[in-house]
Amino acid sequence: MSVPSLFTLPPRPSRRGRVAVGIIVTLIVVAAFWSININWARLGSLPAEILRYLWLMFSAPDWRKLPEALLQTWRSVEMAWVGTVFGLIIALPLSLLSARGFAPAPVRWGLRVLFGVIRAVPEIIIAIVILSVTGLTPLTGALSLTVTSIGTLGKWGYESIEGVDPGPIEAVRAAGGSGIEVIRWGVWPSVTPEFISFWLYRFEINVRASAVLGLIGVGGIGDMLTSYTQYRLWPVVGVLLIVVVVVTMSIDAVSGAIRRRITEGATVRELDR
Amino acid sequence: MSALDLPPRPRGRWKPLVAIGVILVITAITLSPQVGISFSFDAIVRNWQNGASKIFALVQPDWSFFPRTIPPLLETLAMAVIATFVASLVSLPLSLWAARLTNPNRWTRGIVRTLLNIVRSIPDLLYASVLVAMVGVGALPGIVALLLFNIGIIVKMVSENIEANDAGPLEAGRAAGGTQFQINRVIATADALPAFVNQTLYVLELNVRASTVLGLVGAGGLGLLIDAVRTFYRYDQLSLIILEILVVVIVIDNASDAIRRRLV
Repeated sequence: MSVPSLFTLPPRPSRRGRVAVGIIVTLIVVAAFWSININWARLGSLPAEILRYLWLMFSAPDWRKLPEALLQTWRSVEMAWVGTVFGLIIALPLSLLSARGFAPAPVRWGLRVLFGVIRAVPEIIIAIVILSVTGLTPLTGALSLTVTSIGTLGKWGYESIEGVDPGPIEAVRAAGGSGIEVIRWGVWPSVTPEFISFWLYRFEINVRASAVLGLIGVGGIGDMLTSYTQYRLWPVVGVLLIVVVVVTMSIDAVSGAIRRRITEGATVRELDR
Repeated sequence: MSALDLPPRPRGRWKPLVAIGVILVITAITLSPQVGISFSFDAIVRNWQNGASKIFALVQPDWSFFPRTIPPLLETLAMAVIATFVASLVSLPLSLWAARLTNPNRWTRGIVRTLLNIVRSIPDLLYASVLVAMVGVGALPGIVALLLFNIGIIVKMVSENIEANDAGPLEAGRAAGGTQFQINRVIATADALPAFVNQTLYVLELNVRASTVLGLVGAGGLGLLIDAVRTFYRYDQLSLIILEILVVVIVIDNASDAIRRRLV
């Protein structure tokens, strides 16, 4: 009986699955490149072209349009705000109803399918549907952001409610609490930090989305941006892009700071000795 | 002291009330007709008749329209796949570049991060509308728009993952005399691979969703068709397109979930 050599390597793990996935992915990518109708000759000149336009936009930005740009940004942020507030007001009870243990199963699954459908449809299409009733006004933008917010806030909400420690809920039940009291004292205290964080995060998303909604003409910074791109007034487009970047980044920074403060608690200060 | 004395109420109970007050005030301002978006029920009531017929058309999809939606749908999927593929190629080295453990140089790291933060703060459709004006209508500006949007996401998530990974193996690599490049190639890349695959799949899901509407600004795919049917108020055809988007998005989400479970 031969002693196995100390230096035999363990057998290689099977790579068959990975190879198969690799081949499928390659085939899909090749098919995509092959099927798409692009003039590849233009690709070579693309970087130079983009650089030229960047120069046109940012070498001499036309700051005279700044006040109007800020006004339109305010419109966009308003849409985002109203969408978030309405969305959270509607999503709050719905996420309770779609969490296990608070409503009959058909209601729960119906709501979950609804949330899934809303999340799968891009917000701009929801806006196109809503605009048949409300017309091309900022209200359309706010309402479509409301609908999309319900989709995400509802889902995050029920996931968070189902993750709640059952102890406090049982305690409230044992003390004779009614359904409402279970929610108020068993569920609400544990989910509040997460919920506030979801709301703020959704607001950040809505700020971005509201800029996009302008493209179909409901007003706001996106609307202004499409107009000036169509007039090919590049110095103004440059200013608008700068405004979008600065506003989005500052709102993200503020909201991110509040979220961290809520979920992680106050920064520990130096203790007095 | 009796046994039934309640503990004192915690302080700071006014804080949530103040927060709610501030939120209500801002909401009131944003809804006011002078400076806000003027929420009015009149307009809705006035347009309700008009809108109701459209909404009614939505629940009766025009199935005969189906053959015409197939080529744009395929173009949309091709755009999403190409953008994901190219973005994944570009993002892996950039992620290594943007993480502290794999790029100790503070300045080059800062430059990449700042640039990507700026890139990430502009939504994909805005890129698309500007790019269409630059390079003309077609799938190309759509792909470039998706690409910019994707690189921002993948690099942020993967570089954060690299920083959260255990630094031990990297130190071992350094102790064994590896250069930073060798360490990154052999050790950091292997560590970051699951997160990278995960993010790439996530970006593919986002792209399928986003690419369906890029055509609204002229960047190719299903969106061009959406724009056409919307101009003619053919909501019965719009509803068919929405159904197709739903099916495709749900199929891709599930497929990528299955791959994710197998690989990661």
